[in-house]
Amino acid sequence: MNDRIGRIYFGVLGIITLIFGITNLIVTLGGNDFSWGILEISSDMFRGGWGGLIVISAGLFYLSSLKNFLEIHQLSRALMGSILVWILAGTDIFVRITESIPGGEEGPWFNSLKGFLETYSPPYPPVIFLLPFSLIILFFVNKMKKA
Amino acid sequence: MTLTADERWDLIEKISNKVVTFGKFKHTLKDALGELTVKPLSGIPIAIAVLYGFWSVFCSFAGTLFTDGFFVKLFDGHFLPWIQSVFPGEGGWFYYIFVGDPAADNCFEAFGVLTSGFFVAIGVVLPAIFIFYLMMALLEDVGYMPRLAVLIDTIFHKIGLHGYAIVPSILALGCNVPAVTATRILETKKQRFIMMTLLAIFIPCGAQLGIMQEVIPESVGIVLLYLIFGYFLFGFILNKITPGKSPEILIDVPPYQKPLWNNIARKLRMRLEGFLKVAVPFVLFGCAIVNILYLTGTIDWLAKTVAPLLTGWFGVPGETVGPLIAAFLRKDLAVAQLSAIEMSKYQMITSVVLVSIYFPCVATFVMLLKEGWKNLLGSLAVLVAVIFLYGGLINLIWTLLGVQ
Repeated sequence: MNDRIGRIYFGVLGIITLIFGITNLIVTLGGNDFSWGILEISSDMFRGGWGGLIVISAGLFYLSSLKNFLEIHQLSRALMGSILVWILAGTDIFVRITESIPGGEEGPWFNSLKGFLETYSPPYPPVIFLLPFSLIILFFVNKMKKA
Repeated sequence: MTLTADERWDLIEKISNKVVTFGKFKHTLKDALGELTVKPLSGIPIAIAVLYGFWSVFCSFAGTLFTDGFFVKLFDGHFLPWIQSVFPGEGGWFYYIFVGDPAADNCFEAFGVLTSGFFVAIGVVLPAIFIFYLMMALLEDVGYMPRLAVLIDTIFHKIGLHGYAIVPSILALGCNVPAVTATRILETKKQRFIMMTLLAIFIPCGAQLGIMQEVIPESVGIVLLYLIFGYFLFGFILNKITPGKSPEILIDVPPYQKPLWNNIARKLRMRLEGFLKVAVPFVLFGCAIVNILYLTGTIDWLAKTVAPLLTGWFGVPGETVGPLIAAFLRKDLAVAQLSAIEMSKYQMITSVVLVSIYFPCVATFVMLLKEGWKNLLGSLAVLVAVIFLYGGLINLIWTLLGVQ
């Protein structure tokens, strides 16, 4: 049962991740940032280009884990897909943290509470949306450890 | 008591029977993850992601948070005006050496020992070195570095090295001084010579990276691309022309493990102490020497003398001679000096690449000398050839693209 749920879940997540990654690359090649609601895709070479390649890799890791999902080598592929998403999302959150603390060039030493909170407001890059869904892999890893 | 060969084997068998447990090996999730990181198809995207994370954290911690967030404000807004007003003898040579330009409104342009010197050493380089070595120690302790060595072993064999050459190569991105020492992990004289030469020429240190990120953030990628390309191109040539052997190695890959914070703290402290003791005095000393050369008119004279070469062959302004001299003392300082010279984006890229592939900083020079004067002379001969060939080639590329 868990195997089937895992396959369906990570199949869907893999396709969505892959689409996000390809969109990242297209936006980077286009040269203009893309915004849609609270989603924003950067067109800079580092976050959009290299980041897009890593998101595509994460999607491919998810999709390659589907056959015999609970077998340890297959599960490790899904886990690796999630680790790539965590690296990207983690660095993005870290960038926001480092931007939120100082008070700016002309301002005081430290940011105001309003300015601090505003740094964390939307729009967000695709990996931030993928982050909570990628955490589901921990459930399967725990399940496997207990088994 | 002397044992015969047979008796030794018997003893070994008895000991191994007592201490070795035989059973069926069962793969764990860590083993499976470890396999994914060394297979090229899966390992390369993982390596790209790790390097992406490394660079992103490096830039945001050192650049955004500490240098731009606090140190620029501290040094430019408070320290510089204060020292300009309290330091005696404005207009004199002593003032010029220690405080620099009295009209400067930022520490990058003041260029005194106590202004630019302190700002570069403490405000820019220290946070960069700190976060670099912290992440490096983390990757070592987790067990990723040996896997990276296995993953890129094949590529490094093309330039006469093997996978473990990644250790001095990455260490050099922090500081070339410990990296030269780390070349001792390579087996043969040929490998050590190639590694030392390549890292002295093509690998920018953390200090230089920090300054580059600060003064030319939009061009860092292109500069690094030129340096990586040069690293492999000249590595390939050196492998062909250097006599000696490049043997295979067996690497013991440890399992992935949780990092030990005591271990990381000890490594970090050791490396930071090394930086503060060796590099910081050279930054301050470098500022003083360059200022003296300016005061005595030596740099103006050199600029006029070598201007035809710099403008004709490399396509950069004659004024870059000052930073090129400073580069021998500290490369980070030289890049900071370049930012004050008026030139096009492409001239700036060429100048920064020239500063990078120009003579190693004096601290690295001393370390190379410690490893043997023959190696040092060989490296310098390669360096002179590289700077003329590669510098000219970059200028030719810009000219052909029509942007120079």
